[in-house]
Amino acid sequence: VKYFVTVNGREHEVLLSERAGTLEVEVDGKPLDLRYEEVDELGQVVVLRDGRSYALSIEGDEARAAVTLAGHFHDVRLEDERERAAHAAERATDRASGDVLGVMPGVVVAILVKKGDAVEAGQPLLILSAMKMQNEIAAPASGTVADLHVVAGQAVAVGARLVTLTDS
Amino acid sequence: MFRRILIANRGEIALRIVRTAREMGIECIAVFSEPDARALHTRMAHVAVPLGGRLPADTYLRIDKILDAARRFGAEAVHPGYGFLSENAKFARAVRDAGLVWIGPPPEAIEAMGDKVRSRRAMQKAGVRVVPGSLDSVEDAAAAKKEAAEIGYPIALKAAAGGGGKGIRVVRDAAQIASAFRTASGEAASAFGDGRLYLERFLESPRHVEIQVLFDRHGNGVHLGERECSIQRRHQKLLEECPSVVFDAATRERIGAVALQAARAVGYENAGTVELLHSKDEFFFLEMNTRLQVEHPVTEMVTGRDLVREQIRIAAGEELGFAQADVEWRGHAIEVRLNAEDPANGFLPSTGVVGNLRLPGGPGIRLDLGLYRGMEVGVDYDPLLAKLVAWAETRDLAIARMIRALQELDVGGVRTSAPAALAVLEDPRFRRGEFDTHFLETIDLSARHGGEDETVAAAAVIWRHRLAGRRALGTSPASQSSWLARSRAEGPRP
Repeated sequence: VKYFVTVNGREHEVLLSERAGTLEVEVDGKPLDLRYEEVDELGQVVVLRDGRSYALSIEGDEARAAVTLAGHFHDVRLEDERERAAHAAERATDRASGDVLGVMPGVVVAILVKKGDAVEAGQPLLILSAMKMQNEIAAPASGTVADLHVVAGQAVAVGARLVTLTDS
Repeated sequence: MFRRILIANRGEIALRIVRTAREMGIECIAVFSEPDARALHTRMAHVAVPLGGRLPADTYLRIDKILDAARRFGAEAVHPGYGFLSENAKFARAVRDAGLVWIGPPPEAIEAMGDKVRSRRAMQKAGVRVVPGSLDSVEDAAAAKKEAAEIGYPIALKAAAGGGGKGIRVVRDAAQIASAFRTASGEAASAFGDGRLYLERFLESPRHVEIQVLFDRHGNGVHLGERECSIQRRHQKLLEECPSVVFDAATRERIGAVALQAARAVGYENAGTVELLHSKDEFFFLEMNTRLQVEHPVTEMVTGRDLVREQIRIAAGEELGFAQADVEWRGHAIEVRLNAEDPANGFLPSTGVVGNLRLPGGPGIRLDLGLYRGMEVGVDYDPLLAKLVAWAETRDLAIARMIRALQELDVGGVRTSAPAALAVLEDPRFRRGEFDTHFLETIDLSARHGGEDETVAAAAVIWRHRLAGRRALGTSPASQSSWLARSRAEGPRP
């Protein structure tokens, strides 16, 4: 099976094949001499590669995993060929809409604009409070406020739609 | 000595206090909010009292509920930890009025130092230098703009009732002042119930240093030297050390005396910290924190004295029992704060369930934590999960030891500040001691990786393959629902 693996923003092609019960792995066309052991089912993993030992921790799901190795954090995105095609289509629609999405979980403290307002890039749209800090969420580009999806006092999650902007 | 004390806090500091109290043979009453029912401080105390509620305002900030718990379970004294009600003079008074002992400074000293505008006045009067700025709080953004023009840009807007990095904004030109005033004032109002702000000159390449002091009730006071706290993000400390590279024995003696003078000026008692800015070989008074500091362990490791034990002894009326000449500093200690936040993404808060935990150990390592496997990290509380402390004979060895410990550490399920601390410790400028409070901003934390991407990519793919395999076996939701479906098909029995 072929996977597209993005590690900290850099993409690699990983080919995984099972031969006589043994997993064989190729990264970017290069076969790796690699032994993989799971310590527990919580994500502690030992990898032996060319005699070197790597104590990894892996958490996440099929699409996105957080891999820690010797204190270094790796943001890993995983796609097989079918998922890759589906994601490419999704990304194309996302770009077309001007949604400002929540970048952190928090509570909306105040909304500083109203529907129909013209805003400039960098202008604060609303204030989000998280872990006792208040953060201004600014307009990524100039435009008009087409819709507000949240109200003051509302708790929002990462990726939640906050405001929709349209090109003015 | 007390038989039983109540700890009006949560998380790592509540557990930190429980540990010393237990060593002193004192029983501990913990209080806890609904989300903290399984928390470590709840488990490790002798008695745990539910406060019923989720948000700080309904739980750890409720004086009535906390005092009721103290009364019902026979507490003789209350330790407030840091944050929450620790610098609330009203709480200190209420504790005393309830006939209990307050493990902290007198309410009058909290008031004098807690109001940043008043404390700056008091320090100027006592002959301690302060950063140039407005002595009074400013009314609104327009007034701030006028005042800022006189002080000169860049300026810092700060909460009059503030502390802990909340309600602070740096403004570099007049155009930014309205927006900065709004967020800083809002933050101050929600954190301290007081939205007043004052202005201060923003010093270039400043270092943030602080002096730990201890005063007993009998007029004895000592300082326990300095802590270097310049490694900060969003005005909140990330990594602290003792001693500081800008201090030698003579500086320590001189600045220590200034700190003692500042504390004496307000009739101080118990443990406190005088925060100073160091810029171009000059020291300026910043504020005094009238409580135990988050970073107190580095002082404990180097002086060999347990500050919580000293706090409890002082509150019980005991004499300090040692003089300034008895205080010694040995070796070097570094603390790293493990916050639930994402350094690669502007240190934004990170939430989740801690599903995986690998904790460091070995020589010279201390871990003060509130962290456990299965812990839910939400946005209702401070993001501090744990403090990792390394001690060694020299600064270089302490850095090497801390790097080693951070490499052993893994907190899975949330992002933590650990990679940022690692980046700081590995930076040659930090190793040479060349840094100020803006140091962290000069490191590109998004571009870092360990150079093992191939191994990581291969391991992640095998992990996903195994995960899919496990889900296909017995534990998958599909097999459970087929069993349910059959029992439903059979129908209820008469």
